[in-house]
Amino acid sequence: MSRHQYAMVMDLNKCLGCQTCTIACKKLWTDRDGTQHMYWNNVETRPGIGYPRQWDQIGGGWKDGQLQPSKQPGLDDYGAPWEFDYEQRLYEGKKKPVMASPDPVSGPNWDEDVGSLNGDDNFYFYLPRICNHCTNPACLAACPRQAIYKREEDGIVVLDQDRCEGYRYCIAACPYKKIYFNEITGKSEKCIFCYPRLEKGQVNACAAQCPGRLRFVGLLDDPNSAVHKLVHVYKVALPLFPEKGTLPNVFYVPPFNPPKRTNYGRSILEDPRLPLEYLLYLFGPEVKTIIVRLEEELNRAQNGTSSELLQLLIGRDAETRYQIRPQLVQIQSRIGKHS
Amino acid sequence: MRKTCTTFLVAAIVAFFPPVFASSAAGQQRAVKRVAPAQSGLALHASDSTVPVQTLLDPMASEWTRIPPQRIATNRTPRLYDTEAPADSEIPYLDVRLARAEGKLILQMVWCDSTQDTAQIAKLPAAPTEGRPHKELTEATDRFFDSAAVMHPQGLPRGGTWPSLQMGDAGDPVTIYFWNSARGTARMQAEGRGTTKRTGQSFPAQATYRDGAWHLAMELDSIPSGMPLAFAIWNGSQQDRDGRKYFTTWLKLE
Repeated sequence: MSRHQYAMVMDLNKCLGCQTCTIACKKLWTDRDGTQHMYWNNVETRPGIGYPRQWDQIGGGWKDGQLQPSKQPGLDDYGAPWEFDYEQRLYEGKKKPVMASPDPVSGPNWDEDVGSLNGDDNFYFYLPRICNHCTNPACLAACPRQAIYKREEDGIVVLDQDRCEGYRYCIAACPYKKIYFNEITGKSEKCIFCYPRLEKGQVNACAAQCPGRLRFVGLLDDPNSAVHKLVHVYKVALPLFPEKGTLPNVFYVPPFNPPKRTNYGRSILEDPRLPLEYLLYLFGPEVKTIIVRLEEELNRAQNGTSSELLQLLIGRDAETRYQIRPQLVQIQSRIGKHS
Repeated sequence: MRKTCTTFLVAAIVAFFPPVFASSAAGQQRAVKRVAPAQSGLALHASDSTVPVQTLLDPMASEWTRIPPQRIATNRTPRLYDTEAPADSEIPYLDVRLARAEGKLILQMVWCDSTQDTAQIAKLPAAPTEGRPHKELTEATDRFFDSAAVMHPQGLPRGGTWPSLQMGDAGDPVTIYFWNSARGTARMQAEGRGTTKRTGQSFPAQATYRDGAWHLAMELDSIPSGMPLAFAIWNGSQQDRDGRKYFTTWLKLE
């Protein structure tokens, strides 16, 4: 058990699907050899196939204390990036339309904005995802090299590149498929929760760049942090697929807003914009209680009562959303801990 | 594949039923120019050779055919991890030849593997990625490569006790010569399961895949007589890596 635990809460009612977080992460961490398919932070449209394809269907995680088997995602499941053949079109005089090459077969957020139907109405929302820095990480348990460890000082799950031999048991074990294989280095990689930034008192790049201001970052055990309040005091944020048993430390405020255009006077659960079943699939049975709680809070605010919870969720400034505490997190040395 | 690999099987059957198979055995052996495998038991014989090491490092060099191969049965490790898929046991043995030349021990390993799992992987460029427009690309994320290794204790066994086959014991380290068909060679050491470390050194080795079989030659240090050796083979197409592999028992070098 770590002495502290950094956590992130993402309010899915505020995500624009703009991918600014994705690009911030990509430019900072995965613009290197062998990382072209890696998005440590990705934003996918839900309902949808996800990134990598069908990650929520292919296995991993815990069941009755046992790791569960899973397929290894292939490059097509991540979606290889492609280029456009402007040269042919513009300089070589071939009077053909500009084409993508190689022919794309998939990609991150491949089914952008497709969504699904709720009755006759289309619905979708965006799901930003990073490593969940779980309290019971399946990846850590699956690694025979002890290359993955949870930092005692802040609970961030990291992968030691010197110990990794590229066996990829961790990729199979992670039910969120948030570890990636770099074939050029022969080693696996993952989101590091921007710990070098946190150690300098700066928030994660994905959060810092988010125009929707939907991310909250802090120590879950810090009673003054927004993440602590949202998860433990107001109890309005839930982990993704809690039944996978890894105890994630990334939490989501479920999407419930805006209400349907035609449901004036009716509650969100009576006439929802998104079918409740889909939210139950993603977040488990507690999601219903949370939607009721959030709607009550919204009604109170609309009737003129001030709502500390809604003010917190609006999160106008960085001080409200982020409580980075490098002074509380004493950096531990790992030297000599592993043979 | 199966030309060479079928030949091995035929040779083995012939050894048991020589009168019945005499003519076909002669035909097969002429075709592949091989010496019938010797019974190895738990000992391995190394032949002295005057052939240069560089020549012996070609696993297809004709010099190797003059040394009788020693056939060693392989075993399959049990499932080690909950996430592992079941594996077939389709590589039942390997043939080993050993030659001492120029103060080195040269090892030739030949084993049947119907799938050649290897690739040309770009080397990680020395120049930093910043400002370098071209980045090398990951071509696949779900493939594993055929590999092989030989292991020996770092010192001659004391009192006739050999270290654990599972990568040695604490205080009784082993050296491992590891070859990966796509990534080359690495010298490793270990003192028990889960402790394997790269030393940062590589060693000379050459491999050829022909007729459904890997032919691999490795240049080892001058390993003294009396030292036990153990071998391992990984079949990439059945996701072999780590302890998911074929292994042999310890065999004493004569």
